[in-house]
Amino acid sequence: MVDFALVHRPALAGAKSGSFGAPATGNRITLAALPEGHVLQVLASKGSASLEELIRQIADGNKTAVRAYGPGQWFVVGDATLSPAEIAGKAALLSGKASIAEQSHGRIRIGMSGGSVEAALAKGTAVDLDRTKFPVGRSAMTLIGHISALITRTGDESFEVVVLRGFAESLWDELIQMSLEFGVDARATV
Amino acid sequence: MSSFRLPKGGSIDRAKPLDFTFDGKPMQGFAGDTLASALLANGRQLVGRSFKYHRPRGILTAGAAEPNALVTIGEGGRTEANTRATLVELYSGLAAKSQNRWPSVDFDLGAVNSLLSPFLGAGFYYKTFMWPVAFWEKVYEPIIRKAAGLGRATYEPDPDSYEKWWAHCDLLVIGAGPAGLAAALTAGRAGARVILADEGFEPGGSLLSETALVGDRTAIDLLAHTLAELASLSNVRIFSRTTVFGWYDGNVFGALESVQKNTAVVDPNRPVERIWRIAAKHAILASGAEERPLVFGGNDTPGVMMAGAMRSYLNRQAIAPGKKTVIFTNDESGYRTATDLETAGLEVAAIVDARASGASSWSGRAPVFPGALVQDATGSKALTSVTVLKGGTPVTINADALAMSGGWSPIIHLACHRGAKPVWSDAKAAFLAPETLDGLTIAGSAAGVGSLEACLADGAGKATSALQALGFSSAAPAFALAADAATVAKPLWYVRGAKGKAFVDYQNDVHLKDLGLAVSEGYGHVELAKRYTTNGMATDQGKLSNINAIGILAEARKVSPADVGTTTFRPFYTPLSFGALTGASKGKHFQPVRKSPLHDWAKKNGAVFVETGLWYRSSWFPKTGETTWRESVDREVLNVRKNAGICDVSTLGKIEVFGKDAAEFLNRVYCNAFLKLPVGKARYGLMLREDGMIYDDGTTSRLSENHFFMTTTTAYAAGVMNHLEFCAQALWPDLDVQFASSTDQWAQIAVAGPKSRMILQTLVDEDISDAAFPFLGAKEVSLCGGTLTGRLFRISFSGELAYELAVPAGYGEAIADAIMEAGKPHGICPYGVEALGVMRIEKGHVTHSEINGTVIPSDLGFAKMVSATKPDFIGKAMLAREGMVADDRLSLVGVKPLDPATTFKTGSHILSDCATPSLENDQGYVSSSCYSPNLGSTIGLALVKHGPKRHGEHVTVWNDLKNEYTKAVLCSPVFFDPENGKLHG
Amino acid sequence: MASLIACPHCGPRPKEEFTVRGDAGIIRPAPDAGEDAWYAYVYLRDNPRGRHKEHWHHTSGCRRWLIVERDTVTHAIYGVSDAAGAPSQGETA
Repeated sequence: MVDFALVHRPALAGAKSGSFGAPATGNRITLAALPEGHVLQVLASKGSASLEELIRQIADGNKTAVRAYGPGQWFVVGDATLSPAEIAGKAALLSGKASIAEQSHGRIRIGMSGGSVEAALAKGTAVDLDRTKFPVGRSAMTLIGHISALITRTGDESFEVVVLRGFAESLWDELIQMSLEFGVDARATV
Repeated sequence: MSSFRLPKGGSIDRAKPLDFTFDGKPMQGFAGDTLASALLANGRQLVGRSFKYHRPRGILTAGAAEPNALVTIGEGGRTEANTRATLVELYSGLAAKSQNRWPSVDFDLGAVNSLLSPFLGAGFYYKTFMWPVAFWEKVYEPIIRKAAGLGRATYEPDPDSYEKWWAHCDLLVIGAGPAGLAAALTAGRAGARVILADEGFEPGGSLLSETALVGDRTAIDLLAHTLAELASLSNVRIFSRTTVFGWYDGNVFGALESVQKNTAVVDPNRPVERIWRIAAKHAILASGAEERPLVFGGNDTPGVMMAGAMRSYLNRQAIAPGKKTVIFTNDESGYRTATDLETAGLEVAAIVDARASGASSWSGRAPVFPGALVQDATGSKALTSVTVLKGGTPVTINADALAMSGGWSPIIHLACHRGAKPVWSDAKAAFLAPETLDGLTIAGSAAGVGSLEACLADGAGKATSALQALGFSSAAPAFALAADAATVAKPLWYVRGAKGKAFVDYQNDVHLKDLGLAVSEGYGHVELAKRYTTNGMATDQGKLSNINAIGILAEARKVSPADVGTTTFRPFYTPLSFGALTGASKGKHFQPVRKSPLHDWAKKNGAVFVETGLWYRSSWFPKTGETTWRESVDREVLNVRKNAGICDVSTLGKIEVFGKDAAEFLNRVYCNAFLKLPVGKARYGLMLREDGMIYDDGTTSRLSENHFFMTTTTAYAAGVMNHLEFCAQALWPDLDVQFASSTDQWAQIAVAGPKSRMILQTLVDEDISDAAFPFLGAKEVSLCGGTLTGRLFRISFSGELAYELAVPAGYGEAIADAIMEAGKPHGICPYGVEALGVMRIEKGHVTHSEINGTVIPSDLGFAKMVSATKPDFIGKAMLAREGMVADDRLSLVGVKPLDPATTFKTGSHILSDCATPSLENDQGYVSSSCYSPNLGSTIGLALVKHGPKRHGEHVTVWNDLKNEYTKAVLCSPVFFDPENGKLHG
Repeated sequence: MASLIACPHCGPRPKEEFTVRGDAGIIRPAPDAGEDAWYAYVYLRDNPRGRHKEHWHHTSGCRRWLIVERDTVTHAIYGVSDAAGAPSQGETA
């Protein structure tokens, strides 16, 4: 057996950090790489009745942890990393009713917040993110520019974007570009 | 040179002077000027030369319809040609240049065309330059293009940025004139989400130049109060400098906002222009009306201006059009201009009213000539006199300015963008938009409403109806109902007996006689006349000219304008810059980059990358001293076959397939059997299209009873996923099967070569000996003493003893490093897709070079894979067709040159030995080729008629592009280790 | 420039999020339906003027296949539903 340290390489390790764009301080955007904890894709089996309650049981209790993005499709996310055994335990809980695809490395979470966050995101997506139409906890799988991503409102002025790992750096650059006129502070390392 | 700035008046800010240049000459204007008004203030009426005849042209309008005052703005990469000076907000440092003149706008040699004009009528070019045919493209067109034309585009890159933005609202109000403001206020008060868009740099529309009272207050006061209330409503957004240019499906409107076109110092953090895509539940089109020019001789002489524009310049920017103005009108609005001119202390020489009855009331000083016509305007570069036909007698009046008003045409372009046809109204003497449009209501003068009070009421009333339909039951009109006091005269399409040219389309130099010629030569249909004369085909799209052209055609054809009809209105309402249309998608934002989790691992190992779709794949890994890519690739191939190599295959599509019916489903989408694939085993699968052709290939493994792991080719990953979803959702929704794309979850590493097992065994905790983990084994494994769980597959594309190890992406680099470390004593090397390609060709393994949409399984030697027992699978039925079983189908063979020193290229055709190239002699083509360092020769895979029966036959490989002929021999496609001894080693 | 498709699961979304497949009215024949039926299914398409049902995939959204009924002349959309509600497979073997 070789002797080595199992080093985790964050998806945004090479992405740019710092303050960019307008110097104004009023409505700045904050962009933050979130911990590569867990992202579980849950897919309902055919004929499964409402699973919302059951799925909440495999989540970490955070009120925006469970994200519905289509019929019988959810992402369950959280900051904690889960072992294969822990995931297997959750899969057992859903057994027969839904399957879990491990996506903790396949999907990257980016936090985006600030007074202009809806306006900045509207440069990428056609989803109406107005607070009354898109309240806290609501998710939408949509195109941001050319990249498909899951947008979730996590607070009055904060959203989370979940994107394929391979596109994470490109999306990160896009989000900075979209935020330049408001000023943006980007933190690519957790 | 007779227009000038009045010492007082207007809404310009005289405390803020702005310096600018025109053709290099320094000039000054004020904040609140447009470039056009500032030029007029500097006495500059002559601003350009016309397209065809190079006639001197002045500023005609004060808005978007301007056909004459097209200038080039900016310098270097910011050069913007054909900009309408009437829409350019003046800023300090603005540099404008006139166009289509040489050497200068005042003295233009091209004006000689004007002397030739008797020969340059409509259709002149078509008739004259017909023969010889070849001359058109080479000789005539370049010369004509050089002589005609407008501004020139720059070749330098645009340094500025652009973007697109989505907006959503209940009510979009287009135009912030009286009707639009009333609609926005009504909707704002009702609590609706409102967007009010206006092309001007300040909202207000006609209110900005209105001197009449509205009730008991001034128009300016009414405007200020309305804007203040709108600004106080958080549910109302006002977009100034924003032109709504198109109405699209789903009630989406396109709008162009000029963000930083009003400054010489551009903030790089903001775009200079942005395109808004506005999704509106409903829209009110309050775009106003366009004043119609009158068609008389010399109506293009600098100094002749639309009456409304003259009034706007006078009241907004305190511009006197001249010292002595004649008004030629067919409408009440000419009198309003006269009133304001006299109020400003300027002389109005005469009001020539085409209507026999004249004005309803006129109390000014100027004499009124009812039933009179202006026949000709005279002056070369500036107006000097006007010939008035009064009671049948021509009278000459000296004047340096002439205001004309032929009545008003509602601006209905947007309402017709989705296919609706304009309807002629005799009562309004105008084309109106149809009243029943889904999602859009037309209000104010755009709907043919005349008076100011009536426009306010119309906007408010129509907004109320629209809002109530949207569920805002409390909506109430912000302005009271008012009768429309305006009257409409019979249109005057043109003045007979003019001596000079009477222009209809200023920008394209189409005059009255051209339209007459079109009718007499049989091109009287509105669409034909447009193309024959080019009327309405300039950048202004006939905003001023179309209506007069229709009227003139109607008279010539002795029919109503309703019978002539209009040409088709299409987006965009005004020209857009390419920059805005491109938006942010340029440079590195042109398309996203998709990076493998091993990208940086490959980079640090010196990889040269190749773009494959959005991915960057490592192509080869040059070592110090290697000077050509072939050197590196040959070394990598030989090393893998001798020792071991490691290759990033993370870009292959990976799909988790779940469900009780997953096996049944796979059995239906693959042509070979999958129902009984044991857990822990991988199988190569062929997916067909419904027409029987192979769609994609890959291995699929069974990880547990109801969980499969499918791999696809890199290129078809997205397509296969869509296909699987279609089959599961649209064809067989009764099956319990679900999919998750896990391409990005796994870093997948191929380890190949005789020493691969030895190397991997140092990382994998389980026994991976041939007995414990034979060929096509697939299972979850524990790595590095239980530190990590991965998936191990014993599959091979290179033909070597090989494995693919999938680990969670974030650990990909660490594991790849560990494999490199463990393999160092065994001589491991990283290899790229080039070496992979060489090895698969050596083994006769196919890719999409062979699976090119024309091949069925038997063409590639996969006939036995096609299940004969499955009741159904995608592609089964069509495989039985006659053509699919014909024995001369192009089938897979190997091909190699007889002389190893010679070579051939992919794409070359196979001919029977020494046959001449022809369609009949064509035997097939080379689908893949490479240099094989193991064979010491070029080798290729080819699709050839009767291929498998022709091994050993000599052929000629013909490359038509290079005219090369290579003697070659057909052979088995498996060039290397045909017994697969290495694979099973 | 733009147009919106009202996804029954996601709400109105721009056409860029979708992939169009084509006629949703054709039914996949049974494997033994015969040459003519299969030929028609694979190759023959109506090109109607007016109302037309098509399969659209919400590729960048919920990834469901939808049936969009639209007017090929005016582009008016009459209705959008999930394709699973009207399967396109005839009798299975």
